[in-house]
This record gives sequence, structure tokens and C-alpha cells, in this order.
Amino acid sequence: MATAIKWIFIVIILGAAGFLVWWSGWLGAAPVPTPTPVEPAPTTTTEQPTNGMSAANDTSDAAVAQDTAAVDVQMQALTTDSANVDSSMSDKQTPQDY
Amino acid sequence: MLHTIFAAALIASLAVIPTTALAQGAGVNAGVNAAVTTPVGGVNASVSAKVTAAKAKATKEIDRRIALLADMQARIQTMQKVTDAFKQNLSAAVQTQTTALQTLKTKIDAETDEAVIKADVQSITQSHQIFALFMPQARIAAMADREVVLANMMATLGAKLQARVVAAQTAGAEVAALNLALTELNTKINSANTQAQAAVSASAVLSPDNNDKTKMAANAAALKAARTNLQAAHKDLQDARKAIQTILDGLKKAEASVTATTTAQVQ
Repeated sequence: MATAIKWIFIVIILGAAGFLVWWSGWLGAAPVPTPTPVEPAPTTTTEQPTNGMSAANDTSDAAVAQDTAAVDVQMQALTTDSANVDSSMSDKQTPQDY
Repeated sequence: MLHTIFAAALIASLAVIPTTALAQGAGVNAGVNAAVTTPVGGVNASVSAKVTAAKAKATKEIDRRIALLADMQARIQTMQKVTDAFKQNLSAAVQTQTTALQTLKTKIDAETDEAVIKADVQSITQSHQIFALFMPQARIAAMADREVVLANMMATLGAKLQARVVAAQTAGAEVAALNLALTELNTKINSANTQAQAAVSASAVLSPDNNDKTKMAANAAALKAARTNLQAAHKDLQDARKAIQTILDGLKKAEASVTATTTAQVQ
């Protein structure tokens, strides 16, 4: 009985040792834990294009055309602003009876 | 720079003074009302046609101003080159004016005493002096804001066009005319920025005239100067847009000539 227990211990110890040797890579490719991908923290904030403009670093034909169109939209709005300034400066109230 | 001028000058002169003055007008009306005994029963029937007509005209004038203020409020929300604090102050000033006018409208509508109605209607005329300063100043700020926005957009586009011109030059294209147009573009953009800021500075000295002819003349001159600055900036931006078109057209030709030369060499 005691001898049997000894053999069981020996087998377990040998098995554990073998597993460790295999795990350390001595006997070939060991399973490498796959690291959880971590998104790198942005170091700079990218300014979002506004007013219909394309990305600031995009010099393509399409981007230039988009920017030109966006400029034209604002130019038209500026004409409206100009008319509003004129209107506000020449505003006349409706004459009151009293 | 622009928002600094806005914040320092406009908030003080535009947002505070007009609302205070209008509030004073409302206070006068409130005092008058307190001394009036509200008539009862069948009074509406005895209100003269003249009073009814005066009420209708007053309501129309108030509604017109409220509509202009609502339009101004919407425009303020689209301003981009001013601080949030400036926008909030300007927005609050517009809201205060709107509320005061709505209150006055409700009061006139419910009023039955001819003398009180007369005082209320006259307060519209008094508040017009405030309105005549407030609206141009806010409109000037809005237009100057857009001019700066446009100048920035054109500067961004100009940088892209410059990169394209450099690339065309590297490829062997003749770009002397394009470089001249780029210089013109930058000059006009800088000038537009300067003029827009000058417009805001010019309008910042406005103050209620209280029928003081000297102040009235100073306000008129300040508004005119600001308008001149805005028009100059507008013209600069139109010239800048033409320079952009010159560059776009020139780039097409320059890049096409490089392609044609390369193709000929390969053949």
C-alpha cells in the first residue's frame, strides 16, 4: 500500500515536471498567452472638419472641390449677413398713433 | 483676438445697457398701471376705435421686433469664433428684450384705459432708440464672426492649394502665376481678418443716446465706420475667392502640362 502511494506521488511529480518543461518551451512551441489588445490612447485630438470642409490634410481633387463648395456656401451666407446689417441700420419703426 | 474684443466691449455695451434701459421703460409703465383703477363690465365696448387702432399698430410693431429678435437669436447660435460666454450673454440679452416686448404686448392687449395705452404705445417709441442700437451691433458682431470663419476656411483651402502648387512645381510645371495668386490670397485673408476685428472695435463704443445729439452723431458715425470695415472685409473675401479660382484653373493647366510632357517623354 505504502509503495503504491509512493509510485503515485512519483508519477504525479514526474507529470508535473514534464508539464513545466513543456510549458517553458524546452520541448517545442509552448502556448503563448494572447495579450488582450489595448487601444493606444490618442496623444493628440484630431480636429473635426467643420462647415462642410474636408480633412485638413486631404489635398485631393475631391477634397479641394468640397472645400471650395463649402466656402461658396459661407460666401452666400455672408451676403445675407450683410443685408441684415444694412436692414438693421436703416430700421424704421411703424409710426404709432399716439 | 476677435473673441477678446467681443467679450470685453460688446458684452458691456450691448448686452447690459439696452436691457437696463428697456427695463426702466417697463418700470415707468408699471408705475402708471398701479395708479389706475381697473374698469369693470362692458368697458371693451366703450373703447374707442382710435384706441383699437393704436393697439393693433402697437401689436404689429412689437411682433415685428420680436420676429427680428428671434432671427437674431438663431443667428447667435451659429456664431463660431466667439466664446461660449459671449454667446450666452448675447443670447440672454436678446431673450430679455424679447420677454420685455412680450410682456408689453400682453399688457397693451389687456389694457382698457386710454391714458395707460397711450403711455404703453409711447414706450415702444422710446424703446426703439435702444432697438436701433442693439440690433445693428448684434448684426455687426454676427457678420464679423462669419468673416473670420470664412477667412479661416480660405486659409485652410489655401494651404492645400499651396501643397498642390509645390507638387506641380516639383513635377516641372511653370507655377509663377500660381504663386502670385497664392500671395494675393494670403494678403486678402489677412486684410479680411483685420477689417472684421476693426468693425467690432468700431461698434463697441455705442451707447444709448437718450436724445443727446452729440451721442446720436457719435453712434451714427461708429455704426457707419463698422459698416465700412465689414464691407471692406467682404470685398477682401470676394477677392480671395477670385484668387482661389485663379489657382484652381491654373493648377488644372499646370498639372495637365506635366502629364502631357511625361507622356510625350515616355513615347
